Amino acid sequence: MLAWNKKSFLIVDDFTDFRSSVRSMLRELGVQEVDIADTGEQALRLCSQKRYDFILHDFNLGDGKKNGQQVLEDLMTDKLMSHESVFVMVTAENSQAMVMSALEWEPDAYLTKPFNRASLAQRLEKIIQRKNLLKPILQALDRGKPAEVLAACIQLTKQDPRFAPLCLRYKADALRDLNQHEPLETFLKGILADRPQPWTYSALGKLLFKRGRHSEAQVIYEQAVKAFPMMPVLYDGLADVLVAAGDGKRAQQVLEDAVRLSPFAVRRQRLLGKLAMNNEDFESASKAYRHAVSQGQFSRFKDPESNLGLAQALINKCGDRGLDARTRVEINQTLTDVTKEHTDDAGVQVRARLIKATSVQSSDPEMAAKLTEQAMARFESMDHFLSADAALAVALQLKQLGQEDAGAGILKICAEVYGDDPVVMKNIAKQTDDPEILGTGKVAMDLNLQGIRSYRGGNLAEAQDLFRRALALQPKNISIALNMAQSLLHLGVQHLGAAGLQECQACLKLVGKMPETDSRFERYQKLRSRAFGV
Amino acid sequence: MTDLDQGLDFSMVIASTVHDMKNSLANLMHAHGQWVTQLPEDQRGVPEQGVINYQFAHLNSMLVQLLGLYKLGVNQLPLRPDYHELDDFLEAQLALHEEVLNSRGIVARYEVDDFGLPGFFDRELIGSVVSNVVVNAIRYARKEILLSAGEVDGQLVITINDDGPGFPAQLVENQTDYVLGINQHSGSTGLGLYFAARIARQHQRQGARGRIEIANGGELGGGKFSIYLP
Repeated sequence: MLAWNKKSFLIVDDFTDFRSSVRSMLRELGVQEVDIADTGEQALRLCSQKRYDFILHDFNLGDGKKNGQQVLEDLMTDKLMSHESVFVMVTAENSQAMVMSALEWEPDAYLTKPFNRASLAQRLEKIIQRKNLLKPILQALDRGKPAEVLAACIQLTKQDPRFAPLCLRYKADALRDLNQHEPLETFLKGILADRPQPWTYSALGKLLFKRGRHSEAQVIYEQAVKAFPMMPVLYDGLADVLVAAGDGKRAQQVLEDAVRLSPFAVRRQRLLGKLAMNNEDFESASKAYRHAVSQGQFSRFKDPESNLGLAQALINKCGDRGLDARTRVEINQTLTDVTKEHTDDAGVQVRARLIKATSVQSSDPEMAAKLTEQAMARFESMDHFLSADAALAVALQLKQLGQEDAGAGILKICAEVYGDDPVVMKNIAKQTDDPEILGTGKVAMDLNLQGIRSYRGGNLAEAQDLFRRALALQPKNISIALNMAQSLLHLGVQHLGAAGLQECQACLKLVGKMPETDSRFERYQKLRSRAFGV
Repeated sequence: MTDLDQGLDFSMVIASTVHDMKNSLANLMHAHGQWVTQLPEDQRGVPEQGVINYQFAHLNSMLVQLLGLYKLGVNQLPLRPDYHELDDFLEAQLALHEEVLNSRGIVARYEVDDFGLPGFFDRELIGSVVSNVVVNAIRYARKEILLSAGEVDGQLVITINDDGPGFPAQLVENQTDYVLGINQHSGSTGLGLYFAARIARQHQRQGARGRIEIANGGELGGGKFSIYLP
């Protein structure tokens, strides 16, 4: 029997009635410490002050509020809850709809209302039993040590092979975090051959995708969607693969299927908006972005891109017909919200003004000119680079607002900063034929590629020389500067002379201008902490 | 008739109504449970409580089943198999019905053969099947119900035995034709078996599919329901 009197509980529910009935069930079990909350926000606050052994959270706390799944995501991501603590999702109906949307973070159990004391006690005791068994794994997870997680999994399986199924997922995650690609692939394929589960497909698809084996990843996701047609997250994976393969049309269809299954996913709606936008399906784009904005309100995945995307999609949707009053109000609202919320984000300020200027270009040219001027001034003083997508959008808007030269200037910077990415160059080519913009990077890119070959071949001095020459030609290119810094740091910072360290730090200062959303940001942070010390 | 009327999908209407009914019932059960705790001790165990508790459980499992059948029909029944410890699973099934069992004076227990691995199935779906069968067994059992789990030819078998009069003979004889049973005097039993069979079939492993089996006799001499999961 559990020592209930030593356990702390948090009950999160908006029904007073329910809270008191659960509280009395817990009292009868001997529980003494029970806190209550009626919103997810309050629950998060309480969890940041105190560690609970058990959290009983109602899934649905009303429209426009954080739901239980979002709270669980926040708790785990912000490390407000130990892996040893127990999170039980309480649901008013069948939990299947919720189960579908939860793949990354799953609660320890679902309890369907109404439940009796016997059921509650039985579930909690079982979960605690299991968690005690898995203790070494859970503690290693809390410490954030995947190697220890892996060792604990192996130890537990050795102790009793019956525990192997309980370890599968922990083991897969640990192998992933340790970048042990081949063992992970073999492991996942072994599971899939016998008893496939949605997470296994997802993990293998992600691994293959990450390793650039896109067509294999696509095959896996196609199988996955067939085997588990109700799991939206598998559709997300398939869409990513299709985007990479350049099939944006089908990617959009796939995400539309996923959204039909589970409309409550901010990131999915935002990506759908972006895909529809690229496919020039502005109706669908505005719809998806609108969802992303309204659902994002209480989500950690809230993102200014949703607001900016919504405004742009609405403008494009109306095209030459001009904007009606209602659309105008919606555009103003979404742009006002985003500029108020991101006052320090110069990129957002610039882009919101340009979108607004575009929307009033024909109705109020004076206002449009004023906004454009403001945006350009703000852009001049920007310290960071825009993301490639944002830069391309800004360049196009400037051109449409009659600022051809400024637009071309942005394209030129974009080509220099992101010129090693063929997709970016292709998109730049859609906006300009200027050989000075399209052709300048060629030599530097070749040098960069040669440098990578030398680096991989172990010829460090040659690699450094090649990167240095490439960087001299394209001093703003993020990839080259990153490669330069990495090749300098290769033997360890202690082996760099004063000049070398200075060169390395200068490279990283430049790289630091990239937006935090860039996929290389993590690599940059790692190098920076080595070069500058933590 | 307007276009809108023609576009009305009746099964969807039923499904969404059932959904509301289920929520309503949950509130009713909750309120009733609260009220019972306020009653003086001697009024709690009256036979009417047994009837109320049983009918609550019966209504609830019928509604869950109806929603499940709807989702099966429109091919939207999510399957999420995972590993589950069988003693935990069976114990939870019994805990769910504790009040009904107590108020009807039925002793229910479970047994698990120790055969190594935990079971691999969708807890929610198999849970709703077992719950339906248990509710049915409660109706017919005299004083005993036994849940057991074991292994037969590498497959997991979950069995529910009772000491009641057993299934009607024609239902046992025409095992594969469950839907026929709907017209029999036993009311929803046939539909319940159809639902169970469909859920069992959703579970497959390397080509082998799950199935159900009904028989009379068994360990307690009454009805015996088995679900085989590969």
